[in-house]
Amino acid sequence: MTGQTYNLKRYRKWVLPVLALAISVEGAALVCGANIRGLNRGLIQGFSFLGHMFPPDWSAFPEMLKPAVDTIIIAVLGTFFGTIISLGFGLAAASNISPRWLRRLTRGFIRIERALPEIIILLFLVAAFGLGPFGGVISLTIGCIGMLGKLFADAIEEIDPVSIEAIEALGASKIQVIVFGVLQPIIPSIISFALFRFELNIRLSVVLGAVGAGGIGLELYRSFSLLDYNKGLTCLIITLALVIITERFSEFLRSKVKLAGVLR
Amino acid sequence: MIEVKNLTKSLPNGRKLLDGISFTVNKGEFVGILGASGAGKTLTVRCLNGLLKPDSGSVIVEDDQHVKRDICSISKRQLKKVREKIGMIFQGFHLVKRLTALDNVLIGRLGQINSLRSLVYGFTDKEAEEALSALEKVKIQHLAGARVSSMSGGEMQRVAIARAIFQNPTLLLADEPISNLDPSNAKNIMKLIQPLSKDMPVIGVFHQPEMTAKYCSRVIAIKAGRIIYDGDPKISDELLIEIYGEELRHLEANFFSEVPPVPITFTKTKTELHDRPNL
Repeated sequence: MTGQTYNLKRYRKWVLPVLALAISVEGAALVCGANIRGLNRGLIQGFSFLGHMFPPDWSAFPEMLKPAVDTIIIAVLGTFFGTIISLGFGLAAASNISPRWLRRLTRGFIRIERALPEIIILLFLVAAFGLGPFGGVISLTIGCIGMLGKLFADAIEEIDPVSIEAIEALGASKIQVIVFGVLQPIIPSIISFALFRFELNIRLSVVLGAVGAGGIGLELYRSFSLLDYNKGLTCLIITLALVIITERFSEFLRSKVKLAGVLR
Repeated sequence: MIEVKNLTKSLPNGRKLLDGISFTVNKGEFVGILGASGAGKTLTVRCLNGLLKPDSGSVIVEDDQHVKRDICSISKRQLKKVREKIGMIFQGFHLVKRLTALDNVLIGRLGQINSLRSLVYGFTDKEAEEALSALEKVKIQHLAGARVSSMSGGEMQRVAIARAIFQNPTLLLADEPISNLDPSNAKNIMKLIQPLSKDMPVIGVFHQPEMTAKYCSRVIAIKAGRIIYDGDPKISDELLIEIYGEELRHLEANFFSEVPPVPITFTKTKTELHDRPNL
C-alpha cells in the first residue's frame, strides 16, 4: 500500500508542468481558431485538391524550363558572390589576423545578418531594385554572410599561427601572407562550406521566387493563384527534381573535397 | 655576418627570458645553440629575424652589399626587405601542405617578387629551373611535382631547406630542424645544412649535443637566458651536465659515439612551450 502511494507521489512534480502545457496549447488553439473539425474539413479539401492537380499538365513543361534555369542561376550567382564577400568578412572577423575593433564590428554585423531571414532582405531590396532575379541574387549574396562569414572566420582562427609566421619570415607582404599562409590551408573548407550553402540557396531561391525574385517559384505561385492546378503540379515536380538533383550533385562534389581533405 | 649585442627580454612579471645575449657569427661558421627547454634558445633565434622584438639590444645583419642593418630598430618595410634574405627552417616544417614541393620552393622568393605576380603563380621559367636545382641539392628533385601533404617528415624538411636555398639567403636560421626526425633522417638533414655555411652564417637550435659536436663548427650554450659557453663544438660531459642539469649524471650514455647505446635525445617536452611565449 505504501508502495502505491509512493508511486503516485513521484508523479506529483509533473502535474503543474503538464497542466501549464495543456492550458497554453488549448489557449493558443482558441486564439487562432484551430479545432479538430477544421482539421477534418481541411484534410478532405486537401485530398480533393490533390485530385484536381492530377494529371500534371505536361504541355506546360517547355515553358517551365527557363524559369527553372533562372532559379538555378539565382542560386549559383548568389552563392558565388556570397562566398567571395563572406571570405572578406571571415578574414576581418578572425581574431588571429584582424585588429580587435575590426573583428568586433564584423562579428556584430555577421550576427545581425544571421538574425535576418532572406525573405525580409528581399522585401527591402524589391523597393530598391524592383521585382526580378537581380534582387534575388543580392539577397542570397547578403544571406550568405551570416553563415559563411562565421564559418570562414572560425576556420581561419584554427590555423597554426607558426605557419602564418613562416610566410612572414620570408619577407612576404600582407596580401601574400593572407593568400599563402591563411587561405591556402583552408581551401577545402571554403569549397565544402560554399557547396553546403549552395544546397540551401537552391531551396531559398524557389521561395524567394514566389516573393518576387522570379524563376520557378514565381511560376508555382502564379499557377496556384490562377487555380491552374495541373500546371501547378508540373511546377512542383520540376521544383522537386531541381532541388534533389542539385543537392545530390553538390553532395557528390563535397565528398570529393572531403577525400582530398583527408590526404592533406 | 650577424652581430648580436646584449639582447634582453623579460615577461611582464619581471622574469628574465633573455639576459644579455651577445655573439657574432661570420660566413663559414655553423653555430649550434644548445640549452635545456625554456633556456631561451628559440627566443634568441626568433629575435634574429625580427619575429620577436627584444626589450633591448641589437641584431645587426650584413647583406650581400655589405650594408649593415639593425633588425631591432628598422621600419616594418625595411624588416621585410631584410627578411627576404634570411632563410629560416622550422621544427614543424611549416610548408603550404596543399601545394607541390616545387611550388613550396618557389614561395621562398615571395618577398622578392611583385605581390600580384606571386598571387597568380607567375614565376618565370628561370625561377622554376633554379627551384628545381635547389630541390636537386637536397636530393628530392624526383618529388618536385608531389604534394607536400603526401611526404614524410624527412622529405618535408628537405623541401624546407630547398626553399631556404632558393631564397639566396645571406643568413640561415634553423629552429630545431631535426627534432621531429628519426636519427638517420636527422643525420642526412645535418649533412645538407653543414655545407651551406660556406656561403653564409648558419645558426641552428639543437637538442642533440652529439649532432652539434659532429657537424657544427662552434657551439653556444644558453642557460636561463645567459650564454654560459661559446666555443669548440666538442663539449665536456661536465658542461653538458651544467647545461641540462644534474639529472643527466644518472643517464648512462656516450654522447660522442656514432650511435649512442641508449639513444638519448633531449626531446621537446611541454615545458618547451615556455621557449615560445606569446608575448
